[in-house]
Amino acid sequence: MTTASLSRWLMLGEWRSHYTQVGVTLIAIAIGVAMAYSIHLINTAAFNEFSAASKSLSGQADMQVRSRKSYFDESLYPWLAKQKGIAVANPVLELDVAVVGQQSTRNDQKLKILGIDMFRAAQISPDLLGLPEQGKILDRLASDTIFLSPAAMEWLQVKQGDDLHVYAGLHTLRLRVAGGLVRARAGQRLAVMDIGAMQWGFDQLGLLSRIELKLQPGVNHASFKTWLTEELGATYWLTEVADQELRVANMSRAYRINLNMLALVALFTGAFLVFSTQALSVIRRRQQFALLRVLGVTRAQLLRYVLTEGLFLGALGSVLGLSLGYLIAVMALQLLDGGLGSSFFPGVKPNIFFDPAAAVLFFGVGLCITLIGGIVPAMEAAYARPAPALRAGSGQTVVEKWSSPWPAVICLIAALLFTQLPPIFELPVLGYVAIALLLIGGIALMPRFTAGFFSLLTGRLHRCEMGAVSTLVLARLTNAPGQAAIALGGILASFSLMVAMAIMVMSFRVSIDHWLGQVLPADLYVRVATTGDQGGFQLKEQKVIAESIGFDRVDFFRTQQLTLDASRPDITLLARPIDHDDPRKTLPLTDDVIPPESLPEGIIPIWVSEAMVDLYKFRVGEKVVFPVGTAFHEFVVAGIWRDYGRQFGAVQMQLTDYQRLTGDMSVNTVALWLHDGMAMDTVIENLRQLSFGSALEISRSSDMRALSLKIFDRSFAVTYVLETVAVIIGLLGVGASFSAQTLARAKEFGMLRHVGMTRKQILIMLAAEGGLLTALGIVFGFVLGWSISLILIFVVNPQSFHWTMQLYLPWSWLMSIALMMLVSASLTALMAGRQAISGQVMRAVKEDG
Amino acid sequence: MKIMQKIGKLRYAKFLLAWLLMAAFLSIETLADEPVSRLKPVVPDHHLSFPADYGAHHDFRIEWWYITGWLDTDDDKPLGFQVTFFRYATDQNHDNPSHFAAKYLIIAHVALSDPATGKLMHHEKTLREGFDLAYARSGNTDVKLDDWYLVRDDQGHYQVEMQTDEFGLKLSLAPTQAVMLQGDKGFSRKGPKPEQASYYYSEPHLRVSGIVSRNNKPVTVNGSAWLDHEWSTAYLDSDADGWDWVGANLDDGSALMAFQIRGKNGGKVWAYAALRNPTGEVRFFSPDQVEFTPLRTWKSPHTEAVYPVAMHIRTEDIEWRLSPFLDDQELDSRQSTGAVYWEGAVTLTRNQQPAGRGYLELTGYVSPLTL
Amino acid sequence: MLELMNVNKAYAESRKVLTNLCYTLESGAYVAIMGESGVGKSTLLNLIAGLDNPDSGEIRVNGVAISQLDDDAATQLRRKQFGFVFQAFHVLPHLTVHQNVALPLLLNNGSTDQVEQMLINVGLRGRGQHFSHQLSGGELQRVAIARALIHRPALVLADEPTGNLDPDTAHDILQLMRTEIKANGATGIIVTHSHAAAATADLVLNLTKDGLFLTQSEHRQ
Repeated sequence: MTTASLSRWLMLGEWRSHYTQVGVTLIAIAIGVAMAYSIHLINTAAFNEFSAASKSLSGQADMQVRSRKSYFDESLYPWLAKQKGIAVANPVLELDVAVVGQQSTRNDQKLKILGIDMFRAAQISPDLLGLPEQGKILDRLASDTIFLSPAAMEWLQVKQGDDLHVYAGLHTLRLRVAGGLVRARAGQRLAVMDIGAMQWGFDQLGLLSRIELKLQPGVNHASFKTWLTEELGATYWLTEVADQELRVANMSRAYRINLNMLALVALFTGAFLVFSTQALSVIRRRQQFALLRVLGVTRAQLLRYVLTEGLFLGALGSVLGLSLGYLIAVMALQLLDGGLGSSFFPGVKPNIFFDPAAAVLFFGVGLCITLIGGIVPAMEAAYARPAPALRAGSGQTVVEKWSSPWPAVICLIAALLFTQLPPIFELPVLGYVAIALLLIGGIALMPRFTAGFFSLLTGRLHRCEMGAVSTLVLARLTNAPGQAAIALGGILASFSLMVAMAIMVMSFRVSIDHWLGQVLPADLYVRVATTGDQGGFQLKEQKVIAESIGFDRVDFFRTQQLTLDASRPDITLLARPIDHDDPRKTLPLTDDVIPPESLPEGIIPIWVSEAMVDLYKFRVGEKVVFPVGTAFHEFVVAGIWRDYGRQFGAVQMQLTDYQRLTGDMSVNTVALWLHDGMAMDTVIENLRQLSFGSALEISRSSDMRALSLKIFDRSFAVTYVLETVAVIIGLLGVGASFSAQTLARAKEFGMLRHVGMTRKQILIMLAAEGGLLTALGIVFGFVLGWSISLILIFVVNPQSFHWTMQLYLPWSWLMSIALMMLVSASLTALMAGRQAISGQVMRAVKEDG
Repeated sequence: MKIMQKIGKLRYAKFLLAWLLMAAFLSIETLADEPVSRLKPVVPDHHLSFPADYGAHHDFRIEWWYITGWLDTDDDKPLGFQVTFFRYATDQNHDNPSHFAAKYLIIAHVALSDPATGKLMHHEKTLREGFDLAYARSGNTDVKLDDWYLVRDDQGHYQVEMQTDEFGLKLSLAPTQAVMLQGDKGFSRKGPKPEQASYYYSEPHLRVSGIVSRNNKPVTVNGSAWLDHEWSTAYLDSDADGWDWVGANLDDGSALMAFQIRGKNGGKVWAYAALRNPTGEVRFFSPDQVEFTPLRTWKSPHTEAVYPVAMHIRTEDIEWRLSPFLDDQELDSRQSTGAVYWEGAVTLTRNQQPAGRGYLELTGYVSPLTL
Repeated sequence: MLELMNVNKAYAESRKVLTNLCYTLESGAYVAIMGESGVGKSTLLNLIAGLDNPDSGEIRVNGVAISQLDDDAATQLRRKQFGFVFQAFHVLPHLTVHQNVALPLLLNNGSTDQVEQMLINVGLRGRGQHFSHQLSGGELQRVAIARALIHRPALVLADEPTGNLDPDTAHDILQLMRTEIKANGATGIIVTHSHAAAATADLVLNLTKDGLFLTQSEHRQ
């Protein structure tokens, strides 16, 4: 007989006789791979779509010129168009405009309008040319026409020939829908107008958002870029397409990190599940392997056999997982619709793209985890001396051998160190590594911890009289914690990550709630739908509002977008009255603040958000230079405030300082504090009666708070779903391990039945074992999860989102989850134990070994 | 305004090449419904005044400067060339203070007929007037579109430069004869109705010297050219289907211009010819004295259109035969402006005797494209 | 003490193991049952212990028809009246020797005071805190014997108790079993293939297809 056919016999025999375990292992691999793969698919699909949507706006351009401010003077356009080396200079004015009759409190509720010169755009982004009615080509140049993408038409419920009313500052503008943008990306809400019409209609005369450049053939891009950057000076940014992709990547980074976090949960849970089922299946057969060794199978042959088995299982499970993952991703994208990162590109529907490389990668990951899960115990089995291994109960020693505490302790120490290290490429890579190490270390320590805890418990209970069941349970947990701990590995991983996410999300939510209270102190906020760079309220309107009756206090805000780094999304500049004596009264400051009395004289103070510190290295007390208005100015960083609204950075300054620097007296937002006794509705009604009342966006701060929290909850809803899936997988793992162990312990149960234990007692024993172990796992998982949440809150979040938050423990929620876990794990153990009381165990005592 | 055609179905917006372009590119079917236009009509008994009329006339809808000619390279290889600058008033956006407001468009075509390539090389560009990037100035000929320009100096010399990725030309054109006013002292009728007309003058026998480059290889060239400058607001007759036009510098110093507007039924809607002899004496031919007869047709492999590339023209007692320099001189710009026409260098015989070289334009042989 | 009345047991139509088996065993007897493989020795033991039910017939232990009892009652009976010694020892690896021996007492809610004495009796003085992997095969079987007798059962059932042991150790174990069973006044049934083992019994029964027969020649001296 060849060893190959021996392998085959063994494998088939094993699979035949233990098809449940094999099935569970397969499912474990499949689910682990599926979760990670589906998240990857969703992630890349969304990213590709955003990237493509963003690219479709700039077409075939080689380079793009932007200003540090969102808008700049059009005089740059003829200058650029005349430069040698530039084949086409395509001026673009881009505005997000509020549509009459549509809510516009969020950016994704606005209509993105691109103002183009069709003759230039035709050479760079022909897809943006509107398709007018036949014979009405001049509509493309008209001052009152707009072209809408199919998605925008659907969203706004208009068709060719209809009128569309949009807000332009305090006025409304009537536009005729002259046709469609038939080549816009599916789902992309977009409108195109003639650039001249747009400058006029939206009061943006002389302003451009960007100029796209196509270079002459043969022009060296790098040297041209160097030259032009020099020529343009510091006010402008010259970016290549690659830079723009980076910018898009930066924009959607937070969203992707959230998903990556979930992929981590999935992968970890899956890995532990696979590992535990594989390891248990090998341990269960330790005696069989020893026998094979006795019969003359070499170590290498044995290892090869275990590896082959793992290879089969891993390959089959991974293929299943890939298909499952693909299916999940497709369904998820259909269900989630535009909910993914929709604030960047409203309505865009990502499509799943099958990338063979990624599929191979995830296949490989699944295979590797399966192999690793089998190889460690297989090595042990192969290298064990066969004689002792033949003896019953020897599997126990295997597990004990692994639980040497040092690797685990080293993992934990490394985790601690990694939390102290800075981000890599602005991603909290090491934070995630620390989380992984914490999990690995924690789970590796689990057996030791279990043994220690239960021997302590046994010691304590020693004096008391104990029944047979409790003696058995405690003895097993004290003396054979290893196998039990393996079973718990999966659930520990998923539960601790769930706890971590719960603490993080709740801390975040509480912090946001608190923050909203601080940043929305007024009763009412009145805005005009912003269009471009203009503050909608001029002095005249400001006066009208300030003089309206019913208000104790009226504050004006001026908001503007600034580009400080072309590869990053814009930062926000907020100019507003800030309390001179105590800025803390106005801003949600952290402790890092210069007191107003020690501010240096003659230099304008600014208060920056945490993101500015991380992204632009602004430090309190430092002098920084950036453009406000048309020129560069020097400022001193006077403090740092928390900002959960603008992760790309924001700067606040006194409105008076801003107005002095720029001469721009317009404002975007008015904060209003009501007189005591004034009815909110009356006040709102009064505002509506103003001559420009209909263009006003009036929001109650209470509504804004509620809305913000609603958006928050919605964006984390996916998290909850995936967490639940992770826990279910964990429970499945517990079930699988318990049932595997129950089978392995058939002889033990047989003997116990012989010596007079009833079925009930055995079930109670199993449930108690499962319950106690789970309880301990929960406690341990909680500690682990809490530690992870600290890493999430104090390392991962600040590094990726650039904000800090206060720790908050949602006790009642955690308790109920813990209880649910306890009950379901005990039930799972119990269900797995049904085999333990079947008639087969009686015969098991006859089996030798 | 009388000149505005109150006819609903105007398939062609205008008249001669420029109008055809507009027809394809900016078909203005609804303009007939617009009550008032700021644009001026073309009226008889208007005296052209130079040098002002060399420049642009913004009060008229359409205007073009059009130069065709034959060139000889220094190794005696003949080439044909065509340069056209259009100015088009959108008749829109006059209130818009934006510098981008599209009030006028500048369109330019350049083409080179080179027997070495066997076909016409051509390129076209369009821009809105503004930012000094594209303009047609008044006062004297001064038209620009990005780096393409045509400018006339006080001595009457023209400079033109148009470079494309494939080819380019940079030419100086010097007048050798006086300006030739077409029609009735520059009032040139285009149809049976008096308002179907344009202001039109030509400059035949311009002496050309300069550089033509093909695939970045420049060669010096010399030759002679014909310039047309025409402006109008009127539309082509509703019955018009296209036109055939020829302008030729004859070897003896004479200049011939003839055109016919073809009707939809294949007949002749209008025709005109003028022959100026070297002494400056002009002989005008009335529509019934001018007759175009196709001699040979060529089917375009690009558009399937069939063009009468060899043409017999009779102007009263004179027989002209036109033979194409190349068959494939079709200008197919469906990818950009959408116009398709045949614009080619031809040699002429007068009563069977070799007489000179000129340019033949054949339009309306492809059904207009719907964009 | 043990009455087998017309006991029938078949696993399938083709595999009838016990047919109309009748036998009565006196209290305090120590018998060995021998027989060819597959003749139903282990089945008989399972039926006696109430771990399996006969197809027909009745089995009485101390007058109680164990074959009529439900599982719980049978278990209760087993817990109090039975002791088991297995060929494969079945000493729980995660329990100490002491705990293993104490198991039946715990199940019967009895005091575990006698465990130490019992360990001394079976020659395992001072080994109470050891785990199974620290013991030899003979020692493991001593643990099993101690566990089988600790709760003073009326009937001790041993299935090939020395099958895994070398002859010298087997001899010691057999002597120990006999001594301890006799000392406890229990009835002992030992199923074995070994003539040496059978020789330690008071009488040797041969199980055949036709029933249980006394093998005179094997009768103890």
